[in-house]
Amino acid sequence: MAKLILMCLKFMVLCSTVEAVFEDQVGKFDWRQQYVGKVRFSHFDTHLQSSKKVLLATENNVFASLNTRTGELLWRHVDKIGPEGNIDALLQHGQDALLVVGDGRLLRSWEINVGGLNWEIVLDSGSFQSACLIGQQDIVKHVAVLKKTVISLHYLSNGHQKWIENLPESDTVDYQAVYSGGNGDVYALGVVPHSHIAIVVYSLEDGEIIKQISVEAPWLSNIQASCAVIGQGMLTCVDSATVSLYMLDLDAQSEMTQIPLQSLGLDVTPGFQPVLVSTQPNPAQPPLSEFFLQLGPEHHLLLQLNDGQIVTLRDFKPAMLVSFATTGEKTVAAVMSPKNMTACTINLFSAESGRRLLDTTLIFNMDPNVGKPEKLYVQAFLKKDDSVGYRVMVQTEDHTLTFIQQPGRVMWTREEALSDVVTMEMVDLPLTGTQAELEGEFGKKADGLFSMVLKRLSSQLILLQAWIGHLWKLFYDARKPRSQVKNDVTIENLSRDEFNLQKMMVMVTASGKLFGIDSKTGSILWRHYLENIPSNAAFKLMVQRNTAHFPHPPQCTLLIKDKDTGLATLHVFNPIFGKKSHITPPAMPQPILQSLMLPVMDQDYAKVLLLVDDQYKVSAFPSTKNVLQQLQEMASSIFFYLVDSSQGRLSGYRLRTDLSTELIWEVVVPTEVQRIVSVKGKRPNEHVHSQGRVMGDRSVLYKYLNPNLLAVVTESTDLHQERSFVGILLIDGVTGRIIHEAVQRKAKGPVHVVHSENWVVYEYWSTKSRRNEFSVIELYEGMELYNSTVFSSLDRPHAPQVLQQSYIFPSSISTMEATLTEKGITSRHLLIGLPSGGILSLPKMFLDPRRPEIVTEQSREENLIPYAPELLIRSEWFINYNQTVTRVRGIYTAPSGLESTCLVVAYGLDIYQTRVYPSKQFDVLKDDYDYMLISSVLFALFFATMISKRLAEVKLLNRAWR
Amino acid sequence: MLHIERIPLLWVFFQAAVVVTWCFTDLETGPGAGVSVTQPNGDRFKIEGRAVVPGVKTQDWVSTARIFVEGEEYVGFVRTDGSFAVNDVPSGSYVVEVITPNYRFEPVRVDITSKGKMRARLVNFIKTSEVIRQPYPLQIRANGPQTYFMKRETWGWTDFLMNPMVMMMVLPLLIIVLLPKVVNTNDPEMRKEMEQSMNMLNPNPELPDVSELMTKLFSGSKGSSKAGSSSKGTRPAVKRR
Repeated sequence: MAKLILMCLKFMVLCSTVEAVFEDQVGKFDWRQQYVGKVRFSHFDTHLQSSKKVLLATENNVFASLNTRTGELLWRHVDKIGPEGNIDALLQHGQDALLVVGDGRLLRSWEINVGGLNWEIVLDSGSFQSACLIGQQDIVKHVAVLKKTVISLHYLSNGHQKWIENLPESDTVDYQAVYSGGNGDVYALGVVPHSHIAIVVYSLEDGEIIKQISVEAPWLSNIQASCAVIGQGMLTCVDSATVSLYMLDLDAQSEMTQIPLQSLGLDVTPGFQPVLVSTQPNPAQPPLSEFFLQLGPEHHLLLQLNDGQIVTLRDFKPAMLVSFATTGEKTVAAVMSPKNMTACTINLFSAESGRRLLDTTLIFNMDPNVGKPEKLYVQAFLKKDDSVGYRVMVQTEDHTLTFIQQPGRVMWTREEALSDVVTMEMVDLPLTGTQAELEGEFGKKADGLFSMVLKRLSSQLILLQAWIGHLWKLFYDARKPRSQVKNDVTIENLSRDEFNLQKMMVMVTASGKLFGIDSKTGSILWRHYLENIPSNAAFKLMVQRNTAHFPHPPQCTLLIKDKDTGLATLHVFNPIFGKKSHITPPAMPQPILQSLMLPVMDQDYAKVLLLVDDQYKVSAFPSTKNVLQQLQEMASSIFFYLVDSSQGRLSGYRLRTDLSTELIWEVVVPTEVQRIVSVKGKRPNEHVHSQGRVMGDRSVLYKYLNPNLLAVVTESTDLHQERSFVGILLIDGVTGRIIHEAVQRKAKGPVHVVHSENWVVYEYWSTKSRRNEFSVIELYEGMELYNSTVFSSLDRPHAPQVLQQSYIFPSSISTMEATLTEKGITSRHLLIGLPSGGILSLPKMFLDPRRPEIVTEQSREENLIPYAPELLIRSEWFINYNQTVTRVRGIYTAPSGLESTCLVVAYGLDIYQTRVYPSKQFDVLKDDYDYMLISSVLFALFFATMISKRLAEVKLLNRAWR
Repeated sequence: MLHIERIPLLWVFFQAAVVVTWCFTDLETGPGAGVSVTQPNGDRFKIEGRAVVPGVKTQDWVSTARIFVEGEEYVGFVRTDGSFAVNDVPSGSYVVEVITPNYRFEPVRVDITSKGKMRARLVNFIKTSEVIRQPYPLQIRANGPQTYFMKRETWGWTDFLMNPMVMMMVLPLLIIVLLPKVVNTNDPEMRKEMEQSMNMLNPNPELPDVSELMTKLFSGSKGSSKAGSSSKGTRPAVKRR
């Protein structure tokens, strides 16, 4: 019976805390954007004229297919992160796409219409060099894969290996390329740097070596960089030292013929390594005899090999990018050349003659915030009149893909930089003019009763006017068909909504491109590309001034730090418009160790940013006199900490009045045993509403709410599964006092931590039981509060009570964050990003160390859920239903103007934005609120009273007559 | 040269026995020179199986599916026929999951010994050593679409009427209205009879309040029944005084 009650109770609790999406809410306040990353290989599906597909293989180990009409994903396959999922080559043949993955470890064939796998085989080990399709008599049936020591041939239909051969003298010869001209021979081309070229010819049928030659080439070091096969098996190389082309007939000759470029009337831009670009439209046929030679950054030549003679077909100068494209039997060359500062023109030329094709000019407008074009992909097609039409996909430095149709209409743009968001902030939108007017009324000093009344009246009038305008617009829009009503969001009409649910998402990406995204619709409102960002930069985004200080513009500061040198730069900008601020940030010649935002404001309401350099000197930004004076006054109460994980040292410093620092505490974690993995403080904008918890016996258990508490996570250096452990240290950041220390034996990372209020939740892998486990630590002061008015780290004599409990979690996790609301009244949920792409909203009440093993009257009174070792994953708790966020790396939570509502952005390869209501929507009417019912009941009651009143009157009259 | 001869032999093995994994064949040929070239970093094995979504064509779901071995540690993809293989997995114990956004699959634990023997069993995180065997190569069937959504509480007349509170209100009301019509309570004989039966039902003198309640109820019901006929409407009120 007790069990039954327990079950009932559990069920009730479960039901009451269930927070899920309703089906009709799909897409109402949430959106998802899917990305693929920086494109490495791209192929237009050309086997059908009407095909609308483009295949992309990216540096994020993603293989995807896009619809060329809309730019949307048709399908996408996301492989493992890291070198094991790295895509080495992409070959396309008909309906199949071949991928070489993981430095030549796997060969996969994909069906590109459905997006399913045809086959996958494991290749022999050895680093991958090159792959090519092998055709014979116009039929392509095989693929050759060249590795460091072996060459293998596989059937396209099932991946089975036809033959595998060792490469001769592979210890000295560096084989780099494989080539086939469609005549049944497979050429493996290798080089001994600065000595000779080795060419091995294999028979397609059985892998027998037909011929093996070596050709003197003391100037050559890399075949792939400087050579190409042109025409009927003519290996052509270019050398910048001797400024000449070298040619070799692979079948006939055994010596290279040198053709000085000067004899062709050409010369190379000094210091530029010339590049050859050839094209082989059909793998069963030899390459075309036309090729491009790039002689300078903006100088290309279209050359032709004609009976052993090189003929210049056309000289393109200036030309930034060139590309070949083939449709049917026709091959064209697309050339992009600069037009003016903001635009480029792309023209099409016949590859055979070098003549410009008529009406093929296309204009590509370059946004100054986008970066230079980097690659050009051309989709050529035959028009009805047999002329060649084309569309181009331009890839720019900031990973953006732009698909353009003639004469320059942008069909779609994909901001692939957003696949790698590093950090983000949400900024409140500014008030509209009328709202600002109303707000301004309270800010100004009182100047007489009469003028105040007048001002109030006038602002009310403005509001009335705006409201009527709004009504009129509603009425006007209602008459139009729904499809025509467009709510285009632009920067100009952005304004805060009444519950502050719509915000500006400022996203920083690894490529150095900044984005401003409207959180309601997901449309990108501004973008700004920062050039010269080091590839290993660390970013920290801080909001120095929010939108509340009209007329001062909001201000964000991005700290960009080179991880190797430690040198940092600041980028100060307006988060609403994306414009760079006119404020010049201070130059920082020293490496920066730490940065911290103080709640101190200068006279312009900008929060002060302190930067600590490697000499432990502190500089402030902004550093006006006012700020320096405030800092001097406050210096004795400004503390900060530094973490040196390589030496395992945590140290606390105090600021002196002359902006130097003094060391006040130091904690050393011995690096031989364990290393510091992460240090987490609390979020500065977090509010805790209740100071304690009411127990079953009506007493209060007070929370230990130390704002200076740091959670330090360590992992053992010994990774043996019996001896590895995960440690967690709770340290007061001001005094260096260790509040609590916990060790999880037989556990290893990665450890995910959330630190908030009076609790720390962390997740680790238990090596003993091979499962993921959650552990929660809660800190309480006890039944009495030491000093209820203010918390001081320096004056807390009693150590807090520590409660801890652990649970099994049936999945690994990618990232974890806690919900955040305006006042902290709403109960907390943990948002857990799973590798499957789901974002799980787990109520914090399941992770409560006070969950009892035996249910008592008091625990029931407190609404504690009885302890169960396993936490369940219920699919109703996924806040993003089937809109999975692949490779979720971070979850950002922000409070909204409604206490019940927390805004959530999950980012990884995809970006997903939604709202969560951890305690349901208690402060607004639910969106399924039945207005019809309530009004019909009201009307019914009204009429009932009217009728019954009438009846009563009649009755009274009748009685009076009696 | 030894290596070159080994490889086709190995390949024959592979083709002959599809179920037997690649590394089994490796071991059978012996850890010779050829193997040391093909397997430089310890033995790597292959987890194979098939995923089925009943009633759905494979091409409709395979493009969104992935196979996770121990989270994202090893990743495999589903072939167009629903079968899958995850290559390059070292020996150990792993949880294998089929990940699709729209269908729900049960995870399976696969144990691989250092010699490459495979077995599959049910995942049990609490009793981790419990073995309930599953077929290997894996056969994973989707047990239905994922239920992400809550049902909206729709409002209907039946919901309203079936509400216990409403039932509690409506049933007594019906009794109050209908009972006087069926039984004529004004008849003194009938009344006496009823009182007697009530006393029979309630012989315990310690609980007098029930009879009190009944009388109150009757007087009340009489009042309400009287209220219907306006001529004698004032009488019960007088009586109460």
